[in-house]
Order: sequence, then C-alpha cells, then structure tokens
Amino acid sequence: MAERGTGRRAEHLTAVPETPAPVDAGDLLRAVARGDEKAFGKLYDLVAPRVYGLIRRVLRDPAQAEEVAQEALVEVWRSASRFDPSRGTPTAWIFTIAHRRAVDRVRSEQAATERTIRVGVASVDTPYDAVVDEVSGRLERQQVRRCLDDLTELQRQAVTLAYYQGHSYPRVAELLGTPLPTVKTRMRDGLIRLRDCMGTGVSS
Amino acid sequence: MTTEIHTLAGPYVLDAVDDIERASFERHLRECDPCRAEVDELRETTARLADSTWSVPPPRLRENVLAEIGRTRQVSLSDSPPAKRKSFRWQRLTAAAAAVVAAVGAGTTVYAVQDQRVRRERVVAEQARAQAERARAILAAPDVVLRRQAVSTGGRVTVATSRLHNAGVVVLDAGAAPSGRVYQLWTIRPGGGPVSAGVLHQGQEADVVVLDGLPGATDVGLTVEPPNGSATPTLPMVADVKVA
Repeated sequence: MAERGTGRRAEHLTAVPETPAPVDAGDLLRAVARGDEKAFGKLYDLVAPRVYGLIRRVLRDPAQAEEVAQEALVEVWRSASRFDPSRGTPTAWIFTIAHRRAVDRVRSEQAATERTIRVGVASVDTPYDAVVDEVSGRLERQQVRRCLDDLTELQRQAVTLAYYQGHSYPRVAELLGTPLPTVKTRMRDGLIRLRDCMGTGVSS
Repeated sequence: MTTEIHTLAGPYVLDAVDDIERASFERHLRECDPCRAEVDELRETTARLADSTWSVPPPRLRENVLAEIGRTRQVSLSDSPPAKRKSFRWQRLTAAAAAVVAAVGAGTTVYAVQDQRVRRERVVAEQARAQAERARAILAAPDVVLRRQAVSTGGRVTVATSRLHNAGVVVLDAGAAPSGRVYQLWTIRPGGGPVSAGVLHQGQEADVVVLDGLPGATDVGLTVEPPNGSATPTLPMVADVKVA
C-alpha cells in the first residue's frame, strides 16, 4: 500500500522548497548571468552535488573538495555570461570549470604523501554521501560503468586515470608504461566510444 | 603540426594537458570548426562521467558560496559573445533526474529545512524527512533490486525493492504528460486489481514514492489520467515495471 495517500501528496511535494518541478539549468544560468542571486541558489541546488562529488572524486579529501567546490561555484557565478549554449549544455560547462579547478589543485599539491595520509582519514563518509551511493550513484553508474566496460583496457585506464584522478597524459603514459602518442590517441578514441555508447552529442 | 596537435583533443577534454599545451590547443580550436565540434561533444561525454560522482556537500557549502557570490563581481555581459538559443531534450531530463535525486536525499531535506528562506510548517518538513530517510534506507539495503524502464511518453521509471524492508521506492523521471493530463502510479498485486500509489500534480514529471509491501506486488504501473487521477487505470499503461 502507498505509505501516504494522494491527499497528503501535495504537502509532501512542497517540502523540498523551490524545486517542486524540474528546472532548466540553461534558464537558470541565463538569469545568473543577469545577476539573479535567487536563480543562482536554484542552480546551486541542481549542480552542487555533482560539482562537489566530482571534485571530491579527484581530490579524495572532503575538506579540500569543499574549498575547491566553493571556488568553482563562485567561478560559475562570476563568468555565467560567458556560457555559450551553442557549444553545449550548462552542466557540461559547469563541470568543465569544476574539473579544471580540481585538476589544478591536484597538480599544485606538492606533498603527495601528505595528501595520501589525509585520504585515509577522509575515507569515512559523511551522512550526506548516502545519496550518492544509493540513488543516482547506482543508477547513473550502471550506464557509465557499462559504457566504460565497453572500452578496451587501455582506453578505460587512460580516460579514468586522467578524469577521475587528475593525472596529466605524460603521467598516465608513465603509469601505464605506454608510449605518449598511444596514450593521447587512446584518450581520444576512448572518449569517442563513450560518447557513442552514452549517446551524448551536443545536438542530440 | 595540425595532425599532431589534433591528437590532443582527448587529453585536452580530460584536462590532462599542461598550460602551454592547453593554450596552443585552444588557438588551434579557434581555427578548426570540426575540432571544436568534436571537443564540444566530448565535453558532454565527460560531463556524464561527472554525473556518476554525486556526493551531497555539507550544508555550509551552500551558505558559504551564496555569501561569497554576494561579494563577487560578475564578468560583464558585454564581454561575452552573443549566445544562440538551443534546446536540448536530454538536458531537461538531466535536470529532472537531479530534482528526483534531490528529493530523495536526506541531506537535501536537512539543509532545505535549515535554509533561512524556508518557512514551512515543521510537520511537513518532518514528514518529508521521514520519507527521505525511509527511501534512503531502502535504497541502501543489501538486498535492494533495481529495475528501470522507459516511459512511453518519455523518460523513465526506476523501481527499487527490498525484501528486508518489505518496501520499495519508485523514482519517476518522465517526459511531459500529454496536455491537461497527469501521471498516476499503481501497484498490482496477485489476485487484486490495480491500487493507486499516488497522483502527480499537473506539470509534474518527477517524483519519489516509498511503497510498503512492494515486494509482494507483481507490477508497478504508470498511467496518464485526468487531473486528480482515476479510480482505475486508463489503459494502456505508459510504463509497467514487473517487480515479482
């Protein structure tokens, strides 16, 4: 039986404020470009878990991830007017900003060992993480994982070492013991294969 | 040179290049339309890799970011190139999915409640929180089984069931219902007729519903109905997820 009847539904649905229905990130971003702080709040709610999650995945340290996520999100606010919808989706634009920030931080980290130590401490998840693993995590990952599984071993390693761990391609080549030109090529054809598997075209 | 630099498309999109390579590749992009198109597409692909990294940030991040933007001057509109409007269907779906997940997240509910702009009655918030916690617990169950199906009007419905909890969660992320119609969820049990599991509002395409005893059902159905729903489902169902 339904846990709650239809009569209570309206109340329940208003309990997550401001986002009762799907909102369009493009509309929000355009409003943000005009200095609309309220729209920015909504955009935050829409993308922050992925921005934070992505940065956290790359940095593996929640405290640093929080700091870098803040920088990235403020950057979204600052440069919202530069978003060009003819070049892609708002989320891809936002994740590009977030990923680059995360990678910059990883590369600027001199004390890699220090980071490793912190990772150990950080691996205790906060309660907020539950959502990741349980909903979107499982669902989205099913497709992402399936598509990643479609790649050759070398393609997959090249793409994931760069994207999820923030390694430069020369470093990836070193880690995989593979010549540089091969790694560059595998990154590109790996992404092309992922694109075809996930059906993500700009014009789709 | 052109062929050589073009092989940087992969590393460039993955941010695996250094600053000098990035600058020279971006110079190359300005002159090469097909390269730019390829990079744009591959960026959408890497964005999907980001989709799988969901992690709900601590609530204070929101406060800090919102405080910071109040002090941050924006790049002027006149600095930017003219933007052409283009609409992407899957982008709306992504937004819908985000809304769905946001609705399930206990963390989201917690900071939604903490949000200063929110002045909702406490009882409503408590119900939502209990609901979200329930959904989270079911989704976290070791025996959870996920089934996903396309909705014929667009989008998809996902049903998670757990025998341990003797309950399930329905996550709906559908396309727009036909004009003037609403979505209604149903459960079908062996030897019984369809029972309504909730009616959505007009214009509402996404919802998360916890259903007790769902592992005893055979199907979760979705139909398109007049506003406020019907007593019995209007066939054909737009989605029919077998859960038995």
